[in-house]
Amino acid sequence: MKLWGSGLVNGLRISMRNMRRGPITLQYPFEKLELPERARWTVVPLSDAQGVPVCTACGTCVKTCPDHVLALDVTTNEDRSKHINHFSYQLGACMMCGLCVEACPFSAIAMSHDYELARVDPDTLEYDLITDTPAYKPKREKPATPDAPAQPASASEGDAS
Amino acid sequence: MTQDPNLTAPVGAAVSEGAYVPAQLPVGLRRVPSGVDEVTTEHLVVNFGPQHPSTHGVLRMIIEADGEEVVGAEMSIGYLHRGIEKLAEHRRYNALGTLMDRGDYTSGIHGELAAAMVTEKLLEIEVPEKAHWIRSLMGEVNRIASHLVWYGTFGLDAGAMGQFLYAVRDREDLLDILEAVSGSRMMFNYVRPGGVLADLPAGIDQKLRAFVDIFDVHIEEHDQLLGGNEIFQSRVHGVGVIDKQTAIGFGLTGANLRASGVGFDVRRDRPYAAYEKLDFTVPMATEGDCWARYAVRMEEMRQSVRMIRQCLDGMPEGDFTAKVPKVLRPPAGEAYAAVESPRGEWGVHLVSDGSDTPYRLRYRPPALYALQVVEAIMPGSLIADAIVTAGSVDLVLGEIDR
Repeated sequence: MKLWGSGLVNGLRISMRNMRRGPITLQYPFEKLELPERARWTVVPLSDAQGVPVCTACGTCVKTCPDHVLALDVTTNEDRSKHINHFSYQLGACMMCGLCVEACPFSAIAMSHDYELARVDPDTLEYDLITDTPAYKPKREKPATPDAPAQPASASEGDAS
Repeated sequence: MTQDPNLTAPVGAAVSEGAYVPAQLPVGLRRVPSGVDEVTTEHLVVNFGPQHPSTHGVLRMIIEADGEEVVGAEMSIGYLHRGIEKLAEHRRYNALGTLMDRGDYTSGIHGELAAAMVTEKLLEIEVPEKAHWIRSLMGEVNRIASHLVWYGTFGLDAGAMGQFLYAVRDREDLLDILEAVSGSRMMFNYVRPGGVLADLPAGIDQKLRAFVDIFDVHIEEHDQLLGGNEIFQSRVHGVGVIDKQTAIGFGLTGANLRASGVGFDVRRDRPYAAYEKLDFTVPMATEGDCWARYAVRMEEMRQSVRMIRQCLDGMPEGDFTAKVPKVLRPPAGEAYAAVESPRGEWGVHLVSDGSDTPYRLRYRPPALYALQVVEAIMPGSLIADAIVTAGSVDLVLGEIDR
């Protein structure tokens, strides 16, 4: 039978031992953790080498999205090519599950690493990923293999500001 | 004195002559407060929650107290209801995991796993061996993370503080690992019908090994810090006793059931994933009090560490997912699959009508049954003990309210 109170003393000893180690926290705005490669944050459109979005307006992501945050407004021209008027995205309703990116047959969208998503104006929570751009034609040329899906390079493109 | 005939009859002693009976019941309370008893102390109805700091999540406890003693308790739930089961009827099968994550948000992998397993059962998909092992590995990682949340908050219920910070420190490492593997810290969406989303990333083996090595030391530190504390011990020994019959009668599962002396563990008794090939013991206790539940869960974490090591050593080569079509259309029929989540048997019953969305999905939230037991055993205990009892059974309101 241990002496009553020895556990309390032992607890204090553990606390003292932990007091001697360095902090495990980061001073957030000044220091930032590096996100793992697979981290999923906002959806961003990807572009080819010339900076043209590679979205073909097939609508697979729109159908896949469980929360219906993606919407495509497309007009079909006389030559049956498509023109993307708006490819809109509701950031405020997105749960970042990544199903749209997995479903995209042309790797035209990706999950970026942009995690600082606080907005002052709620209207900026819904914005266009692609506006008034002709849809990429997958038949004419093979889609220039976009970079790895979780590439944050084009993160700034999808920003609302 | 006239009594409203619509009022339910008071439980326990009949209302004595001249006792005060309110014209209207307090919202949510199904018993008439017993008014004035023989020693003329007035009963007080205390409302804990839904935003009370000492309740878990948004649980509302309506406690009728005679001084410090609880004479009646009612758990009022539904403050976190999001209609998950109904929403599931509009989700494709491979998107069910996104909902299951949000049910029990501290152990998303287990919810996803149950949904994936039931879909695989309907579609008769053969899951590759490696996917089984990854599922077991991530399940155990998630189990430790979930138990650490319980450990930290259980101490808070008993009046301790430091252990919560230490628990969160260790959980942070686990969430980093889970984020590196799945892409998200809590809403993983990692386990899919047919396997898992992606193979384990490079370097995760070293990270996990480094974690379990240091956690071997930390778990003893946790155990000494809270379990070794005499004040904590005197708060939990003999408090909130759930006997074997009550536990079985209420359909309790998981660590709560095992602490009452019934050795049932889905991992061992109805093996899924790779648990058949893993060597682990199912910790048991017979007392059924808060201390027994504490001891069982601490031992479960040690067993999880053992299993993580075995998974890392025995991880087979091969595919991480079977070949499954993009849109799943299971044949009409129904199936049930259950996993051992940190709170108990988490089962999903799925009815398919042959379309690409479920006809009906129902999941069995183990914490709901624990909540009902707490309601039943609470009368007769002190208010402070009632809080400890509610904390000891590991309630997650997201899973209860759905």
